[in-house]
Amino acid sequence: MAVPQDLFYAKTHEWVSLEDGIATIGITDFAQSQLSDLTFVELPEVGTEFESGDEAAVVESVKAAADVYAPVAGEVVAVNSNLEDAPELINKDAFGSGWLFKLRMADESEVDDLMDADTYEELCPSA
Amino acid sequence: MQRRVLAARQEGRIPDTVLILQHEPVVTLGNRGRDNYLLKTAEEYQAMGIDLFHAERGGDVTFHAPGQWVLYPILHLGGNEADSHGYLSNLEEIAIQTLGDFGIKGFRKAGKSGAWTDAGKIAAIGFRLKKWVSFHGMSFNVNLDLSGFQTIVPCGLVGEPVASLKTILGDSCPSMDSVRNSLLEHFSNVCQRDLERFDADGELPAALQDAMT
Repeated sequence: MAVPQDLFYAKTHEWVSLEDGIATIGITDFAQSQLSDLTFVELPEVGTEFESGDEAAVVESVKAAADVYAPVAGEVVAVNSNLEDAPELINKDAFGSGWLFKLRMADESEVDDLMDADTYEELCPSA
Repeated sequence: MQRRVLAARQEGRIPDTVLILQHEPVVTLGNRGRDNYLLKTAEEYQAMGIDLFHAERGGDVTFHAPGQWVLYPILHLGGNEADSHGYLSNLEEIAIQTLGDFGIKGFRKAGKSGAWTDAGKIAAIGFRLKKWVSFHGMSFNVNLDLSGFQTIVPCGLVGEPVASLKTILGDSCPSMDSVRNSLLEHFSNVCQRDLERFDADGELPAALQDAMT
């Protein structure tokens, strides 16, 4: 499993990339592989404010539904509406075009509480 | 009760736990449950003695009744080597190995989930993950009255027959106890978790007792 080095990771298998105070959030390749083919994604509304750890989205495969948590606090500034018609983007490209939503972070230093790629990889069994 | 056990597992108060039980007759809909897979009205279900329930799990509509084992593993799936094949595939494997114990060939169907036999679908799967702890799980038909399945389109699959051990094996259908033992044994092997068994009506470890009440 390839885990990109330049991202931050949460224990609940979300990844975060940070640019200019905006955090892009998705689920990891390990997470998508556990759920198999995704068929539906419930995304938050733009403008919603999350504390870190809040339930932010739901991803569903044919037989599984899993909650996705906001790994950091902030306000939703964008959601990946491509997923509505093509949830399989998450299976195909979890770390890229399968991103879920973007948050304007309340406190950028919060990413320091997340894991780096090496630590995350140790947590995850190799798929 | 399942939600309380789930919360206890998420908080680390109890280890991975499996609930195995039988339901009174009930039709349950999944998270995105579609009413058009129900073939009766609410009143008709009531008259038949079948409850209707919206569950939070993935998957579509299904039917539970006595004579069917329901396996609800409350497992932390965030990092155990055994789970890396995918939890769905592990559940299917448990059903297939259990069928093997009774001389029945079970198999998967591409693009569909659950366990199948030549006579039809025998195990149905639908689960949910919260904080990467699983709840809901799998039902496995032993000797229940299958007529309840005729009131729904099971899992939204039109024209797919439903089977039980009883419809396949007839008089040589094993006892519920014997099937439960098989399911739990294969769960242990496939998911690589040793089980200590407790009867819900008997004495339970304190943490589990707390979680259940």
